[in-house]
Amino acid sequence: MFSFPLFKQTVKANGLIWVVLTAVTAILLVQFAVLEMTQNLLFLIFYGVMAMLLPAVFILISSNKLFASQVDRGSMAYVLSTPIRRSKVALTQMAFSVLTIALMFVITTIAHIAVNANDPLSLELAGSGAGITGLTGDLTTEMIVKVNLSAMVVCLAMSGVCYMFSAIFNQSKYSLGFSGTFVGVSVLANMLAMFGSLGVEALENFKYVSICTLYDYQSILTGGDDWIIKGAVALAIAVVTYVVGSVWFCKKDLPL
Amino acid sequence: MEEIEVKSLTKDYGHGRGIYDVSFTVHKGEVFGFLGPNGAGKSTTMRHLMGFSKPQSGEAFIHGLSCWKDHARVMREVGYIPGEVALPEGLNGAGFLQMMQGLRKSPSSRITELLDLFEMDPSGSMKRMSIGEKRKLAIVAAFMGDPDTLLLDEPTSGLDPVMQEVFIDFVKGEKEKGKTVLLSSHIFSEVEALCDRIAIIKEGKIISTVNADDVKHFKRKTFDITFADEDSYRRFPAEGFEIRQAFPEERKVSVAVDDSQSDAFIKRIVNYTVKSFVENPQTLEDYFMHFYKSDRSFGDIAHGKRKRH
Repeated sequence: MFSFPLFKQTVKANGLIWVVLTAVTAILLVQFAVLEMTQNLLFLIFYGVMAMLLPAVFILISSNKLFASQVDRGSMAYVLSTPIRRSKVALTQMAFSVLTIALMFVITTIAHIAVNANDPLSLELAGSGAGITGLTGDLTTEMIVKVNLSAMVVCLAMSGVCYMFSAIFNQSKYSLGFSGTFVGVSVLANMLAMFGSLGVEALENFKYVSICTLYDYQSILTGGDDWIIKGAVALAIAVVTYVVGSVWFCKKDLPL
Repeated sequence: MEEIEVKSLTKDYGHGRGIYDVSFTVHKGEVFGFLGPNGAGKSTTMRHLMGFSKPQSGEAFIHGLSCWKDHARVMREVGYIPGEVALPEGLNGAGFLQMMQGLRKSPSSRITELLDLFEMDPSGSMKRMSIGEKRKLAIVAAFMGDPDTLLLDEPTSGLDPVMQEVFIDFVKGEKEKGKTVLLSSHIFSEVEALCDRIAIIKEGKIISTVNADDVKHFKRKTFDITFADEDSYRRFPAEGFEIRQAFPEERKVSVAVDDSQSDAFIKRIVNYTVKSFVENPQTLEDYFMHFYKSDRSFGDIAHGKRKRH
């Protein structure tokens, strides 16, 4: 249930932007983790904002191209004029969006682990910038893996929602409009909520309108379990939206 | 089992758009023409045959398989040239053909053959390709798997006249190999050269299906006769031939003559002083042109009401 020729086309259409955004993410991460000036902001700025923002840009651009833009332009007609089931098209595109997000986080995780092993970051320093006090010891590899895992499942949920919009709508403007609003509101509200955690209490409520709230690095740093439940919810959102999108695409009328 | 079978297919998009109770069959080895004005429902019918759209009622079959339910199986033996030439993003021409070949699992020898035939170099970037070049790629993609059945939606639009000829000859060759073709087109010469039968669709309904041969050897001919003197012009109507139009000032008449009357007609006309004598060849275009004139009026503006003579 996977079409390699179609996968190759999807990679060619989205590969460059993925490489650029992954590289930018990894470089930013390494810079935040290595430079003494920015180490205390590693969690607040990089993990708090960038780890959502940069994948979100990729998700927004690539997911529209998976279905909606191809249906809108009419090029989907060529793909579907071959003996390929629509479900196979849907699963191939789904594989692309899941694999690219996963690979992005694998790369940043490895980069961070490598940098951190060389010069472990003290949790006291890491926590101070993010408004968490009373932490002791160093940042461990396990923590890095968990933080990235938590961020990844939330990005998968975002990706699932955008995939669903792309599969449902026949025009790029609607697919991009809905996905863009969803991703934009989530990322912006996440940033505003960050100021909330820094003491601007009025802004804290913004976390309730952002899917990024399901990503919880604070609980990992303090040794809590909250991130597991939140991650499970994010994963459930991802599964539901991917399934709804795929089924919808298989059953809908295509104006090709 | 018929090669292509459309059974009372209905799809209403509202505002008078759609297809209503469309039925026709295309036999094996036949080239079936599909003619009609823009927005008449040709592409909508194609869309159902390609399994892109689900019928509201009725059904479309190719090789006895439902086009909607068995889409993937149907496509094994179908080649399709879409009306739209937008090709997938991120690929150059060669990459596109490679993808189509991978999806179709077809041999590459035929691709080279087709590229040579249509004088196409696929290595350039899609963005710099003309519509004609993209169309050629679509043609190669449709025929690369040597399918039994071909659905061609205005396949030559964008091609230059020489390439249109090449394409027509190529489809003739495919027809001789026993391929079945459904051809939607606006180009009469193309339809005339290729089609065995022709269906006319208008406002979503098939209004006529004719054998191309019947049109070509239309049993009535029209002659335009201009008489040299007034006397001849006055006397001629008494001969009893059907006068379709008369132009007193030019002393010209347009006469419709049955093939069976030819001999009598020639024998009579020698008795008149004739200045000019022209046979109007009956082309498919004449035959079909009146179907194209729309009776629909949009608001207060009535289209196609101009008189031609």
